[in-house]
Amino acid sequence: MAIQVNSPAPAFELSGVVGKEFRKIRLSDYQGKWVVLFFYPLDFTPV
Amino acid sequence: MLGAQVLGVSTDSKFSHLAWVNQELGELTYPLLADFTKRVSKEYGVLLERLGAALRGTFLIGPDGLVRAYTVQDLTVGRSVDEILRLVSALKTGKLCPAGWRPGEPFVPPIPKSTGK
Repeated sequence: MAIQVNSPAPAFELSGVVGKEFRKIRLSDYQGKWVVLFFYPLDFTPV
Repeated sequence: MLGAQVLGVSTDSKFSHLAWVNQELGELTYPLLADFTKRVSKEYGVLLERLGAALRGTFLIGPDGLVRAYTVQDLTVGRSVDEILRLVSALKTGKLCPAGWRPGEPFVPPIPKSTGK
């Protein structure tokens, strides 16, 4: 496991969908805010 | 979510995300990000190599960019939004929150500093 609590979250820049538009998002865009980053396996699946 | 920014990530493409939003989800209040190269999922330790997909990992990141809590669970079990909210609330207080603490409940008093001897 690469992540350790109390260590910096790995930086990233990813394309994605915001509303109905494509945008680039960096983790650092949210510096100063709490972030809930969640990973999920696959679009079009429940659970 | 308690003033926190929510970000969703999978290894699908942004086109797949948009199709999902258009066909099923409706417009979301938070971004869905495409980790198409799987680099970020790998770096966060949630990439399931045999599937090329991410496990259900949830990372709570503080305003200073530090990871303050995370959970990773297998594909078959969904998350508890309630528990995520509880953790964010507890972390935001900056105080000592005992086991099972819920917002509004008392904190553990700070441990008094030793007076010496």
